[in-house]
Amino acid sequence: MRIGIVCPYSFDVPGGVQFHVRDLAEYFIGQGHHVSVLAPADSETALPDYVVSAGRATAVRYNGSVARLNFGPVAAAKVNRWLDAGEFDVLHLHEPLTPSVSVLALMAADGPIVATFHTSMVRSRSMQAAFPIFRPSLEKIAGRIAVSEDARRTVTTHIGGDAVVIPNGVFVARFANARHVARWTGTPTRPTIAFLGRMGEPRKGLPVLAAALPDLLAQVPGLRVLVAGPGDPEEITEGMPAKVVAALEFLGAVSDEEKAELLASVDVYVAPNTGGESFGIILIEAMSAGACVLASDIAAFSRVLDGGRSGALFRNEQPGDLAAVLLSLLRDPARRGSLAAAGRARAARFDWSVVANQIMAVYETVIEGRLAARSEPRTRWNRLLHGGPSW
Amino acid sequence: MINFLTWFFAVLFVIVVVAWYLSYTAARLDRLHVRLSGTLAALDARLVRRAEAALELANSGLLDGATSLILGGAAVDSLESPDEYGEAREIAENDLTEALDVSLSRHTVDDLRSRGAVGEEHLARIVSACNRVQLARRFHNDAVTDVRRVRRKWAITLFRLAGHTPLPHTIEFDDEMPEHLSREPAAG
Repeated sequence: MRIGIVCPYSFDVPGGVQFHVRDLAEYFIGQGHHVSVLAPADSETALPDYVVSAGRATAVRYNGSVARLNFGPVAAAKVNRWLDAGEFDVLHLHEPLTPSVSVLALMAADGPIVATFHTSMVRSRSMQAAFPIFRPSLEKIAGRIAVSEDARRTVTTHIGGDAVVIPNGVFVARFANARHVARWTGTPTRPTIAFLGRMGEPRKGLPVLAAALPDLLAQVPGLRVLVAGPGDPEEITEGMPAKVVAALEFLGAVSDEEKAELLASVDVYVAPNTGGESFGIILIEAMSAGACVLASDIAAFSRVLDGGRSGALFRNEQPGDLAAVLLSLLRDPARRGSLAAAGRARAARFDWSVVANQIMAVYETVIEGRLAARSEPRTRWNRLLHGGPSW
Repeated sequence: MINFLTWFFAVLFVIVVVAWYLSYTAARLDRLHVRLSGTLAALDARLVRRAEAALELANSGLLDGATSLILGGAAVDSLESPDEYGEAREIAENDLTEALDVSLSRHTVDDLRSRGAVGEEHLARIVSACNRVQLARRFHNDAVTDVRRVRRKWAITLFRLAGHTPLPHTIEFDDEMPEHLSREPAAG
């Protein structure tokens, strides 16, 4: 099958949508399909050979955050050439509400179109203003996918109709085969817990974990807290009690491989995020690696952890509850083991082999619909408008 | 004279704009109707495949006699239901969903799995067929929603741009995966 995938965000910087597009494309190529990805990228950025650059991206403030997007007549011409040369059986657009190459491709394309919605958006003034012009293009999308229930709500409220929920994928095997690393593995007197993510960003929840630490350290003096991710340790530890600072170990930014090893080695992985997560792919990675997961009970995490059956939950933004649940986990290796086992089984549902098959089923459904429509006798309107306005 | 020409061109301009808008809207509606007929045909094909998969399982000799009768009966009713969508068809598809759910009890699923490749193959085909019915029905109902919204436009009602095409309705029946199959990682 010839598959064209359009990513609206620049490949110059890493991001959730870019990773999703990359993994999906690589999985389908591995299955023997022809895949071409169109995305904005700088000429200096090294791109995989299946990615076609739509040109340099510009940083734009849109819908409350800064995104690196690509638009304008040059980009539109580039999109048209890519569509013409590709002769795709199906076109898969990501984030079709973001004003970048996805929108340009949607305007220009004519054929079976699938769209994936990643983020939950609040309806904005700019979107409302442009919607009447944009609406007829959105009607060309034959199959809508949402990566989470929150993203699905965006579709139902902004566009109307519905979307099928197909979660983000993870290459489970890459995490499941990670080695245990002795320096990160906990001992009964010196158990280890891990935090991953940008430490300076409050909604990633490091302050919540830090607030829980004095209580925890009183009970488990040997506790080691491994903090991985970009950020300035000195800034973070400012004003924290000396005992807490002594328990923290900063690893800095880690590679994918180190991340997997860290998750596989620690006693408990803690995700204290306070909100703003629409999915929680890191939890699936942790479960794949065999970590016992403790997460805040925000909606996205609670869904990924199957309501607490595949990992422990604590009440969001309540350090007291975090400390209590974490303490009980640290004192109960059997429960940690059973949660980790349940987590592994749960993670299998999000493996790319499963997720990509579901996406392929969407492609096939949409293509089948298009073939059936073409074999229908031409309608009165078709005849009347033959040679009429083109899109 | 100047006054007359000004009026003439003003009226001409309005006529051109209205004509463009009407043809634009008609083409937009036509594209939606084409999409609609496609999604309907796709749903039809998927429902037939689901019924065939159910019938094959019923006739495979892997199920006990009573279960075979229940499942086979519902599958045949679905295959023989009228082509047009309406209450009769929706009831037949509902019944097949129910029959699949009842037939594929936990015991039956475990039993089929224990038979190795043959049983697994039948189950995989049913999981795939049910999953694709869900997709096809959702995409069709999305198309219906889009068509109904556009058909409410004043230009379409006033100038009867939809012709005699009846207003489409969403297709409603229970398309849930059998409970004991959905526990497994759903495959395409």
